[in-house]
Amino acid sequence: MTDTLRIALDNGAVLLLHEDHANPSIAIRGSVRAGSAYGAPGVAEFAARLLLRGTTKRSAASMSDAIENLGAALSSSNAEEAVAILGRCTPETLKATLRLLTESLATPAFAEGELEKVRGEVLGDIRAQQDDTRRAATRRLSELVYSRDHPYGRDPKGDETSVRKARPKAVRSFHGAHYGAAGMIFAFSGDLDGETFRSTVAPAFEDLDSGSPPKPLPAPKSEARANATIPMAHKTQADFVAGRAAVARSHPDFYALNLANLLFGRIGLYGRLGTSVRDTLGLAYYSFSSLDARLAGGHWSVSAGVNPKNLVKAVKAIRAEAERLEKEPFTEQEIRDGKTHLVGALLVNLERNPEYSGALHDVEYHALGSDYLARYPALVRAIQPDAVRKKAVACFDPDACSWVASGPVAGMKIAF
Amino acid sequence: MAVVAHTLTNGLTVLLHSTPEAPAVTVWVGYKVGSRNERPGITGATHWVEHMLFKGGGTLKKGDIDAIVGRLGGKFNGFTDTDFTIYFETVPPDHLDTALMIEAERMRNAAFDPQETEAERGVIISEREGGENNPKVLLSEELWHLAFHAHPYHWPVIGWKTDLERIRRDELYDYYRQHYAPNNAVLTIVGAFVEEEAMRRVEAHFGPFRPEDQPAPLAVTEAPQEGERRSVIRRAGTQDHLMIGYRVPEIAHADTAPLLVLQAVLGGWHGIGLLGGPFVSRSNRLYRGLVDAKLATDVGAQHALRRDPGLFVVEATVREGVDPTLVERAAGEVVEKLRRKPPTEAEMARALRQIRVWHAYDRDGPTAKALLLTWFEVIGGHRLLDDLLERCQSVAPEDVRRVADAYLGEDNRTVCTFLARREAR
Repeated sequence: MTDTLRIALDNGAVLLLHEDHANPSIAIRGSVRAGSAYGAPGVAEFAARLLLRGTTKRSAASMSDAIENLGAALSSSNAEEAVAILGRCTPETLKATLRLLTESLATPAFAEGELEKVRGEVLGDIRAQQDDTRRAATRRLSELVYSRDHPYGRDPKGDETSVRKARPKAVRSFHGAHYGAAGMIFAFSGDLDGETFRSTVAPAFEDLDSGSPPKPLPAPKSEARANATIPMAHKTQADFVAGRAAVARSHPDFYALNLANLLFGRIGLYGRLGTSVRDTLGLAYYSFSSLDARLAGGHWSVSAGVNPKNLVKAVKAIRAEAERLEKEPFTEQEIRDGKTHLVGALLVNLERNPEYSGALHDVEYHALGSDYLARYPALVRAIQPDAVRKKAVACFDPDACSWVASGPVAGMKIAF
Repeated sequence: MAVVAHTLTNGLTVLLHSTPEAPAVTVWVGYKVGSRNERPGITGATHWVEHMLFKGGGTLKKGDIDAIVGRLGGKFNGFTDTDFTIYFETVPPDHLDTALMIEAERMRNAAFDPQETEAERGVIISEREGGENNPKVLLSEELWHLAFHAHPYHWPVIGWKTDLERIRRDELYDYYRQHYAPNNAVLTIVGAFVEEEAMRRVEAHFGPFRPEDQPAPLAVTEAPQEGERRSVIRRAGTQDHLMIGYRVPEIAHADTAPLLVLQAVLGGWHGIGLLGGPFVSRSNRLYRGLVDAKLATDVGAQHALRRDPGLFVVEATVREGVDPTLVERAAGEVVEKLRRKPPTEAEMARALRQIRVWHAYDRDGPTAKALLLTWFEVIGGHRLLDDLLERCQSVAPEDVRRVADAYLGEDNRTVCTFLARREAR
């Protein structure tokens, strides 16, 4: 791993570069702290989707033509905390691509006609989610774990009512308040040298208005355990998800918990969970766990896609694996394997520019320090095995988990 | 891409592309066996065999592959398609030999333990059922099923559920032994390694394997389509979808390059690999004709690259409140315009530039490069990709019109519609 070049602009934007000349391309990963947490329901979604669809100087069609005529690609998508911006270009098209990107960030049009198209897209996406057993269950679990009172518990897309109400004026107002350069991060990886980065990339972002720095989000409150079923009689497969609040990315327990989650439901073919539910019992194509650690909080969850006739058996097997953590804690060998995995994966996962720019971005986003990637192996090696075991038992406690089952599950007696 | 090709005496093709500065090395093995090699009654066998090859054999016990690669922090997976099956491991550079060992055991020594085979039946049926939950998967299955009457593209890669419930362990094992042989495979290594040392290790691991007699080449030829075919799936759901498949020639055909350019003009371009990212193309005929017209919320065009004649697929998700027949009519008009009049110079310049530039994006990192080399080697030769994309650059606007006219006619198409019954919401 080569050194990262970091430039903090006067307007608050932070730019990062990883040089890699093996491929004649550049990957861009950026973010603006203008997620759904900062606006009325649905408005952030419209702002993100409309960002690259025309500016005060050019129409949506002219913008997409300009991007695609370069052979470049840009996308923006909304989430609870921030808008993610991704891009690809070549060294030759970098300057022109940045011009289009910064023009979009500074002066998006939010034109009525484009907004109407986006309205149809968002409504379609909401309906697709309602008809997707896995997405519907995951969405509902977020509501149970965080409650709708917290931004993490609300759908970043908004709901049908808010989507129907969205108007250009509200979207423009939201953009004016939250798309400032303060808190903006853009990471670049690829065929780009430091000199060009300073002379081309930095000036492109310098003229953006600073705006107000993003306000910290409140920590989610602890919610009581709850469960829900989403009956969809026309589906063949059921989905089951269970989870609970966990830690923010900055919490000192993150590293032990991350390793515990890896061993429980990620490593190899989904860790202990996959070995039991998929490999030994043959109950599911997928059965895995996830740790979602964000700025203000996070949650841990398990997921499985199961034939309805196997659902009760699969849920029991997931619970049994969680309970086993106390009776049969992770062995020294499991923990050693998990640590070598994390260290090796850092290298392997950074083989492509999109992944490298993503990693650089995340380091800055979570304020992990510019030497974080270099320190990471030592951080992993320092994780105490007992901490991993204790955190696993404490966090992956089925009795503390909310759960959701979706699909042909009406009338089923599910207990977790 | 500078590729060194070798052939072992047992017929194994080896492709090497060394990039010493890479942070990883990746080993891929592709087999020239896919669902096109199956027969009725054992549909899905190729994919099931792929699953079994993660369950040990030889010196590897069940769970060893994921444990070994897992503790290295590596990536691994397998894919089954109509024309091929592919496996890979991407690992830190000093573990090349481990990846080669895994692939060697996988090639000839898989265990196919009867109990494990039975357990996997549930996993595979679960995978199929997960797909059945998705209207677009159902629609795609219906499209290929209807477009091909005789050719094995008639059935889905994952197989019919009735076959998955019936297939016996011995049928799978026989299928494996016949097709998983060095003379039916390509081994690709890309990343940080030294060529001479790598070849020594390849010889040590794969050299002792004997070639197998391969079955006669597939003798099925699909008769020309003589008229439009149609199907409607009515099922509870929330969105209507449309898929239109036009019968097109095999990848080796001279018209493949103009068909790829046609794809870019009609539906945009996101590279030829599987790692295109979340980008949406909006400067294409279908987007302008259907999404800008508020008839659809997303559109796509894909020339499916196949060993045998396949399909050029146009698809759309119908916008809420819009009659799907209007979407079909609009898509038909977009296609008809291209059949009558060539794309503009500006459209051609954009399409050719996208194809050229995305080829660089597609080859970012050892894993992506090895994927492309292996995939193309098993369906037509690893040089075919570069040749094809170079040939695209010589395609003229009239070539695009000509192939649109030749293949995208009504009598050559299969139209499948998913009509969501809203009352179930």
